[in-house]
Amino acid sequence: MKTILDWLDERVGWRKIKEVIFDRLIPKGVDWRYTLGSITLFFFILQVTTGILLAMHYSPSPDHAYDSVKFISNNVPMGAFLRGLHKWGATGMVVSVFLHMLRVFFMGSYKFPREVTWLSGVFLFFLVIGFGFTGYLLPWDQKAYWATTVGSKMVEQVPMVGQYLGSILKGGEDLGAITLTRFYAIHVLVLPALTLLFMAFHLFLVVWHGISAPPERTSRSGDVPLTDKDPNWKEKVKARYLELKHQGKSFWPYIIFKDTVAITIVFIIVAAVAIWKGADLEDLANPTDTTYNPRPEWYFLSVFQLLKYFPGSLEAFAIVLLPLIVVGILLGLPFFDKGPKRHPMDRKWLVLAGWAGLLGVIVLTVQGGRSPLTNPVVEKDPLIMEGKRLFTDLHCEYCHSLNGHGGTVGPALDGVGMRRDHNWLANHFKNPEKISPGTKMPNFNLLDSEVECLVAYMSSLGGGSFTAKAPRIFEENCTVCHKFHGVGEEIGPDLSHIGSVRDAAYIASYVTDPQKMNPDAAMQSLAEALTPDQIKDVANYLAQQGK
Amino acid sequence: MKDTKHNSGAPEDPQRRTFLIGLIAAMVSFITLVLGGSGALYFLSPAWRGRKENWVAVGPISGLKEGDPIKIDFVQRKMDGWNVIQSPSSVWVVLQKGEWVAYDPHCTHLGCPYRWDANKKAFICPCHGGVFSKDGNVVSGPPPKPLMRYPTKIENSTLYILPEGAKA
Repeated sequence: MKTILDWLDERVGWRKIKEVIFDRLIPKGVDWRYTLGSITLFFFILQVTTGILLAMHYSPSPDHAYDSVKFISNNVPMGAFLRGLHKWGATGMVVSVFLHMLRVFFMGSYKFPREVTWLSGVFLFFLVIGFGFTGYLLPWDQKAYWATTVGSKMVEQVPMVGQYLGSILKGGEDLGAITLTRFYAIHVLVLPALTLLFMAFHLFLVVWHGISAPPERTSRSGDVPLTDKDPNWKEKVKARYLELKHQGKSFWPYIIFKDTVAITIVFIIVAAVAIWKGADLEDLANPTDTTYNPRPEWYFLSVFQLLKYFPGSLEAFAIVLLPLIVVGILLGLPFFDKGPKRHPMDRKWLVLAGWAGLLGVIVLTVQGGRSPLTNPVVEKDPLIMEGKRLFTDLHCEYCHSLNGHGGTVGPALDGVGMRRDHNWLANHFKNPEKISPGTKMPNFNLLDSEVECLVAYMSSLGGGSFTAKAPRIFEENCTVCHKFHGVGEEIGPDLSHIGSVRDAAYIASYVTDPQKMNPDAAMQSLAEALTPDQIKDVANYLAQQGK
Repeated sequence: MKDTKHNSGAPEDPQRRTFLIGLIAAMVSFITLVLGGSGALYFLSPAWRGRKENWVAVGPISGLKEGDPIKIDFVQRKMDGWNVIQSPSSVWVVLQKGEWVAYDPHCTHLGCPYRWDANKKAFICPCHGGVFSKDGNVVSGPPPKPLMRYPTKIENSTLYILPEGAKA
């Protein structure tokens, strides 16, 4: 064994590497606040690992992206968990990199001799934001599509060159296939490569200069405060650092232990959230949808909220100048805050400004998160959405008409849900000849899952008839919580257009047992207040709303 | 700072040191196990996740004539990952000893599409002259084995075949 280790040492020099990296002394006072950088590094490793696995089942094209992501969640073992880890790992990374930055800011760790370490860190921060922005387009769901639409529109606001910048970002005039492949390439190739490069540089500098010691008042020993007027202040700073360093412990295992404990706790939290919350997937991106409420990822909410305060004429100012100011402050920080003063009490104004900025970001984020959703939130039945898609893909309208469009070979499908029950429809799709002998409808050899979707869609076309009492029943029992054509409370969702997304059967089951249909529903069952016939009546009435 | 003299640091307690290293190893193993384990399940799953049987309806048997084999064209829809793909295909169907037999439409020699010759009462391959009898056996020519058969089943008087289950 020893000979092997010696042989390797002669060729790789691992003993020297171990001495420089692992046996180096870490200054006294390095505590839990210093684990944030390691946590961020861990998140990067987590994102790379889960990202590589996700990429194995992902297809970056508008035709396939959504389905492939759904496939990962529903069909690949551990797929939902890994997607959850990737999503919440991203959130965790934004949080940890931000907190790491705040730690460095408040402790003045960016000052001599670590200015370049700070600069490389600022670039890494931008890269993390870039990962976030390019990453959430990839599932190609509503959130992805609309958030990116808004993002690219913001870029287009830039005076003079906005249009060009927008085209470069989107890879063309419109948000589409090329946008997706470009974002994908940037997300999985460009950004990881740049991050590795900057991270290697950043970590090299951390080892080269040593981890900064906790800040001390410059007048600690009662003598004259150390300022940059002192021609030897740099030497004094270095000497004091060496002193503190020699009072400290070695990186391995003492500091690594702290890092590992912090990383393990954070990992357990992220894994728990990944299992508990998972990674959601909204409906397929739909450029024609006018009922969607676009909201950015939470870490962009402050920008989202800020933009509301600028009227049209000042919009360009907000979009160009504000980010430039933020970038300028971050990059310029070590150049306008120089000298040996690191302790917050020695930098009162700057620290105060930092707190003010932080408070501003927090307030804007909270306000952005609270801003009311303008469009009523209507839960859509995924089966019906899927059925609608399949209806188009199979070109059913070549033979059947719906709402006056389509062929006349087969019967019109308006209100077919009223005429045919689930069983009839399912058997019809599986074997048309058997249900209607002599039919011209071909047997498509549909998969069972496809039959299910088509049946759901067909059943949603036209509910049963309702009685004159139905509006009355609704008014007495439902408007206490639901808004309906401008009347009623806003505790539950607005139901004015519910018929466009839900069929009568679904509504009836929901009213009977809300938690069965949606475990998070706050609504109480009305099964005791209403008879089954009344529920059916109201459901049929609602199913006609917004057709 | 290129100072690496580690003997000048705080005094070390060897027992505490070993204890910490043990804990680090335990925590790192835990994370590796969770992440590596789920990653391995994800990556290796194709090894044990079999193909789903995908029976294809080729037509009601009332429409099929007994006697000479007939060729039926059909479109098979199947899952390819997250995709549904449609592949047009055909099958030779014949009633034999009261049982429906479905032949893969490719010659077992080099995969050419053979046809039924009603006069010679044999399947004839146009490429290298392979000849098969009605029951699929090689009569003459280069084919090394009889025609491949698809499993068949009748449900609701409709004939179904399983193209993925072709056997000699």
